[in-house]
Order: sequence, then structure tokens, then C-alpha cells
Amino acid sequence: MTMPFIHRVQPKTAAAPEPTAGGSGPLVDPPPASGARLVAHGLTKSFSGATVLDAVSVSFEPGEIHTLLGENGAGKSTLFKILSGLYPADAGWLELVGDRLPELTPRLALERGIYLVPQEPTLMAHLSAAENLYTGVLPRRRISALVDWGRIRKDAASSLERVGLDIDPETPARDLSIAQQQLLECARALVHHCRVILFDEPTSPLTAHETEILFGLMRALQAEGLCLGFISHRLDEVIEISDRISVLRDGRHVASFDRGTVARDDLVTAMVGREIGVRTRTRRTSDLASRQEVLRVEGLSLAPVFTDISFHLLSHEVVGMAGLVGSGRTEIAETLFGLRSADRGSVRIGERTLGHRSPRTCIDAGLIYLPEDRGRHGIFAEVDLTRNVTAGIVPRLPRRWGLLNKSEEERGASTAVARTSVKTASLGAAINTLSGGNQQRAMFSRWLMAEPQVAILDEPTRGVDIGAKDDIYDIISDLAASGMACLIISSDLEELALTCDRVLVVYEGRIVGEVGGAEITTARLGELVVGAGVR
Amino acid sequence: MIDLKLPRPAAPAATVARRADTRRRDRNWVLALVLLLVLEVLYFSVTVSGFFGNGSGLLALSEQFLDVGAIALGEAVVILAGEIDLSAGTLSSLSGIVMAVLWQQQHVEIWVAVVIALVLSGVIGAFNGLVITFFKVDSLLVTLATQFILGAVATALSGSSPPYGFPGSFVSIAGTGTIGPIPNQLVVFAVLAIGVAVAVSRTRMGRSLALIGYNRPAGRYSGIRIERTVLGAFVFSALMAGVSGILVSGLYNAARDDIGNSLLLPAITVVVLGGVDIFGGRGRISGVIVATFVLGFLTQGLLVAGDSSLSATMVTGILLIVCLVLKIGLDRRAGLDVRAMLRQRIARTSGPRRAGEAS
Repeated sequence: MTMPFIHRVQPKTAAAPEPTAGGSGPLVDPPPASGARLVAHGLTKSFSGATVLDAVSVSFEPGEIHTLLGENGAGKSTLFKILSGLYPADAGWLELVGDRLPELTPRLALERGIYLVPQEPTLMAHLSAAENLYTGVLPRRRISALVDWGRIRKDAASSLERVGLDIDPETPARDLSIAQQQLLECARALVHHCRVILFDEPTSPLTAHETEILFGLMRALQAEGLCLGFISHRLDEVIEISDRISVLRDGRHVASFDRGTVARDDLVTAMVGREIGVRTRTRRTSDLASRQEVLRVEGLSLAPVFTDISFHLLSHEVVGMAGLVGSGRTEIAETLFGLRSADRGSVRIGERTLGHRSPRTCIDAGLIYLPEDRGRHGIFAEVDLTRNVTAGIVPRLPRRWGLLNKSEEERGASTAVARTSVKTASLGAAINTLSGGNQQRAMFSRWLMAEPQVAILDEPTRGVDIGAKDDIYDIISDLAASGMACLIISSDLEELALTCDRVLVVYEGRIVGEVGGAEITTARLGELVVGAGVR
Repeated sequence: MIDLKLPRPAAPAATVARRADTRRRDRNWVLALVLLLVLEVLYFSVTVSGFFGNGSGLLALSEQFLDVGAIALGEAVVILAGEIDLSAGTLSSLSGIVMAVLWQQQHVEIWVAVVIALVLSGVIGAFNGLVITFFKVDSLLVTLATQFILGAVATALSGSSPPYGFPGSFVSIAGTGTIGPIPNQLVVFAVLAIGVAVAVSRTRMGRSLALIGYNRPAGRYSGIRIERTVLGAFVFSALMAGVSGILVSGLYNAARDDIGNSLLLPAITVVVLGGVDIFGGRGRISGVIVATFVLGFLTQGLLVAGDSSLSATMVTGILLIVCLVLKIGLDRRAGLDVRAMLRQRIARTSGPRRAGEAS
């Protein structure tokens, strides 16, 4: 459906010299830097049954910033990961400067000049900036074949200067800010003479000023004729920086726009696939007299991640926790759940004050935590559904004559699984044979079995497709209706606006705001999460 | 405003899902091992005179490898939890020596000496477990170190002439005695084996063990008490090693400080052959029990036939490789991608990467 576009920039071969913006480059050391046209043909990818990319074709042109836009789970990052060899595609192929590429590995992609600046920088924390630049391609001395450190130091300084990074090349990567780490990643791409650089949501942890610096660099690279790919959720910056925008929805390429031909609303409609506002939910206001406090957190601190966190939850209440990646939301939740020890602060669940907490004591007191990273912290991948669903209540499993009563256990599991409508052929099926959405439903079943009063749900719709998302919202409002208090941690502001009665905003480890009722809009939350209300 | 969803009717059991049924695939492996055992025993009974011996000969041969079986039972529990215990072999020696020395030099009643040796084994297991869980040192390293320590202590204790000639009641019950045609050691092993099998599949401890073996972080996030479970596994493994040392002493009617460590690798072989995933989680004790006999009778059959112990060892290696390749093939047919599984596991254990799956 998305075949070749007509482009502003006239088609060039790889050997063509500087494109349109000639003469603007203050660039030392020009490598064979001109960009290379990278085209994806019909890429398809699925993860354990859920199709993430469905026959997507896009092209990245030299001298162009091409942005992928879409909701969470639309397949943007997956596409970039395939382009850079991190994932193999199930079907489809790649073309670089007219040549069909073999199946890529990260190393091969790098050799061909394709570089992904990942969502979270993957530098080696203990190595210096210079060493990070040259990992994989350490220059050697000619005769001794030993690493040529002198040259590394000299070249590193010039590479860092080229991306506007004013640091000592000997600085360990762990001492750099996220923004600096991203610039270092760019420098790394240049050291490897990359011609295609893909940025996977680089701006989400950046301040406005840092974003401008990054954009400045991107424009300079663009002027050099490199191919740039970009992902961001912030529509305004997308419109500002992009020459072309391709919208993905549910793994399909649904629309493309060129610079100047698009308005914000068009993008939103294309992303969501329907007019916004179709999905409305009656917010439960404080009409219930029977509400009581089920969780009170007082002065919870864990240096240096978060300080002085205090809030409370009432029964029947859905409360959101908004904040940027790295603002400390997940760490707060993990500390509440006893996975980390707090420095200070008290936590009361129902009537009980829990001093020294462990996940077990929290579960038994009625607090559960649905982790963000389902693959690592949630599911037991190769284990059957029954044991996955009952894993949270091992000490309470039904027994007969001291031994586990498996038929009783299966009965309990099947009830819990039915309550969240997990679709499966049998309870004996390994959980990794289910789709992402069904795995997440099974996680809800696990915690339903523990009969909690308070549920902390960390990114509850991460990695599930759109249909399953709606069902998960239904499950959440279902839980709240039954009296449970839910704390939802989410980066998806729309999700929070849709589901929550109140939203707490976390910024750099502090709660900096609380909005409730009609005040909860994505715009308001968007301001608060980047620290707009902070002195 | 809130529409409660009725459970959707379950889809008809698809063949794919049935194949991927976790319980079925492990049961199939145990059945394959049983078949292998039957074929092996038939082969040796027909071709090697003196192997079958009207049945009682066959049963008596089992005494030669039940010490390995006892260690394998404990090792299986530790491996299920995703750890390994390399000290089980020398601990077996130490247990036998301690019992013998107490009896001979301190004139302790032999059965009291047995109990003391077992308690000491448990304490050593607890030491292993505490170092591993408390200081978070890899079990491979901790038990490698205790292996040397225990081996050295055992040799030193046994002195230049290790004690021998235990009371007849002991030798009969723990050693070479029989009930009808059935060796006492086989009875002891059967009781232990059934106990372990039931404990692993039917107790809360066993459940925790398997879950943390499959995915330890997920276990932690599910409220399983990891430290307690791992500690328990090491205490148990040490107790089994202790029992094995007693069985060795009874069988030879002498304390042997030289045998223990040669039991370790066969025991680990038995565990893996029995279908237990060396990375933890998956596996059945019934498989380990059958594998004990498969490997034991294979070795004994070759020895009775007059082959050298070297060739028996070689055949063991070949058998292990063939079985593992077969097993991976079976898993793949059942819809399991073993290589992908390995990749996941390696990714999980190396570094705190937090990549989202799909976005």
C-alpha cells in the first residue's frame, strides 16, 4: 500500500556529492559521509503470536529526517531494530543504495553504515567516552598490532567536537548525562562512518534545551547528506524537525506526510485511526460514601532516586502516576512492594503498618505489584498457565494431607483466568505460546488470586496490541468497581487521562503535582511531567 | 458503565497448544528413558552372561551405583533451582569418614555416628547455601571451594589407614544386606527417591524451587522467598551426599576418602540425562530416577562384559550427547525453540538491560 513516494529532494546515487544545503558544514575530517538510501520492503514481525509489524514498506532518503509516528506498540521501535539488525524480520527485505541486503546482524548493519541510537543508551558505563567510541573497531598499530591509544585519544577529541560534545574523552560514560550519552552515540555512529542514523525516541528524557542541541546536531548531519530516522511522541517537535512523517498503526503503515502538508490533528487521527474522544469513560467521582483509605505512604525516601514521597489511596479509586522515564516512578513502586529497602518513610496497607517489607509480606497484607517488564519480571515463560497464575500465592495453595491439591489449584486458576478472559486452549499451555495481551491478562489473573486491596500496575498496557488494551482498561475499572484501589504508572498520558480519577506527577524523584477530575488532560500532564510546575 | 465481561468460551484445543503442553513433553522424555532402560537391560541380559543372574544378579548390580543415585537426587533439587553443588562428592567422602572415625576412635555407637555425620552434612550444606544467598556469590564458585576444603579434611581425618570392619548390623542394613532378592540399599534409595519426587512436585517448597529455576527475578516479583528456597536446596543436597557416604561405607565395609569425588560428575550426568534443564526450572525427579538406572546398568553391563572402565566412561559420554541432541530435537517438534530459549536466558543473566519487547 505504501510504495515509492515523490520526494522534494531529487534522487541521488550514493556517490553523489553534498545535497541541497551545500557549504554549511563546519566539518573536519569528511569521511565518505554522504547518505545512502535505505528502503524496507514489506517487513513483517511478530512476537509470540502478536503481529507487531505487518508488511511495512518505508524508505529513508539521504539528506532527509524521516519520522515514524504511532501509538505505543504500533511497531516503530521494532522497525528500527530490524533496520539495525537487532531483530531478524519474519518476512520482507532491506535495500541499501539499490543493493539487497543479506539478513542483518548488529555488526553487519554497522559495517554497512546503519546505526541505531537506542531508546536507552547502551554505552559501557565503566569505559571512557573515547573507548566507547571505538568499541568493536579499535585502531591498531601497524607492526605490533597493539591498540593505538594515542590515535584514539586524538581522533576521539575531534569526533566529540564534531557532535558538539565538550567533554574530556577520558570521562567514563557513566558520568555523562543522558543527553551527553546520546551525543556520544551519534559520535560513535560517525566514527563508524555510518550513513544512516536512526534515533529511537531520543527526546523523551531530554529537557527542552537539550532537545534543541540534539536537533541542531541532527540538522547538521542532515546537511551532510546523512539519512536520519527519528521516533518521538511529541507531535510539535515531530512537525518541527521532520521532512517526512510516516504513521504506523497496529503494525501497519497507514499514512505518510511531507513537510508543510500536515497539521497536528491529521497526525493524531492517523495514529489513532478514529476521531479522538470516542472512548470515554464515566469517571467515578466521590459518590461512594463507603470509601476508606487502603494505602498511606508517608515520607518514603530512597537516595538518590526519590525523596519524601507521600500519598494515599482510597478504595474504589484509580490513581495515576505520571512522569518521565527515569523520574523514579518504578523505583517508588518497587520500594513500596519491598523489592528495595527504603531509607526512610512508612507504608500502611489497610490497617497494618509494614516496616520492613518484602514482596511476600506485601502480598499477604493486600498489596500487589504488576511489573513493567513482563518478560523478565512477570511471566515464567516456559511454564504452564496454571503455575504462572498461582505463582503469587504459593504459600496459600490448596493442600490435602499436606500435599498440593492440583485439581483444586487448577480450578482456582481457571476461575481467575476466566475473570480476565485469557484466551487459551488449555491451562497446561506454556504461557509464552500466548499473545502479549493474553500474557498480561494472565498476570492480572495471578494478582486477582491474591485478593489484594491495593494494586500497583506498572505500564499495564505495555507491549499489548490495541484491542487488548481496551480489555485491560475494562479489567482495571472492574477491579476498582469491586473496591480495589489501583495505582497506574504509565508513560502514556492519554491512558492516564482515560482511566484515572486522580493523577500524581513525579518529577526527578518528587511528587510535584496532583490533578483530579476534569483537570486531567494530556496537555496538563504533559506540562507537569517535564517539570513545568517546579520552581 | 462497567460492563462485566463473561468469559469467552475456550477455543477448541489446537494441536499446537496440546503439543506445547508443558506436562506432556516432560512425561514423554521420561517414557523414552524407560524404553531405553528396558532395551538396555534386555540387551545385556541376552549378550552378557552373569548380568541378569535370574533377576537377583541384576538387582544386586544396582548396589554399585545407588551412591551416585543418592547424590543425583540432591543435585537434581539444586539444579532445578538454577544452582549447582560441586561439593556433593567430597562431602559424601567426609560424611563416611566422620561416621567411621567417630565409631572407631571415639567409640560412638554406629547409628549415632550415622546421625551425627548426616547432621554435619546438613550444616555444611547450610554453610554453602548461606554464603551463596547472603553474599550473592555464584554457587559454582562457592561449592568448588568447599569441594576442596571438604576433600582435604576427609583425607586428613581418615589418616594413613582408614577405618574398616563396621558392626555387622550396619553392614547388613546400610550395605550389602538384602530383603529376599532386593538389596537393602535399593530399598533405601527407593524410599528417598519417592520422597524427593513427591516433595518436588507436590509441596510448596518444590513449587517455589521450580519457579525460581525458570525465572528467578519473576519469582522475586511474585513474592517467592528466594533465599530460603535456595538455602533449603543446598541443605537437602548436602544431606543426600551424606547419605551417599554412608551407603559407600556400608557397601565396602570401610571408610573411603577416595571415592566421593568420582561420584560427582556421574551424578550430574544422571540429572541432565534425566531431563532436568541444567539452567534450572524444567525437569522431573522421575526422569532422574530412571536415568540413574539407565546409566548405572550401562556401566555395570559393560564392566561385567569385561570392558575396561575407560570404555564404560567413554560410552557414557556418547550416550549423554546422543540423548541431549535427541531431546532438543523432541523439544523443537513440540514447538519449543531451544536456541531462542538459551538466548533469552543469556540475555536475562547478562547485565541489567531493560529493553521493551515491542513498541
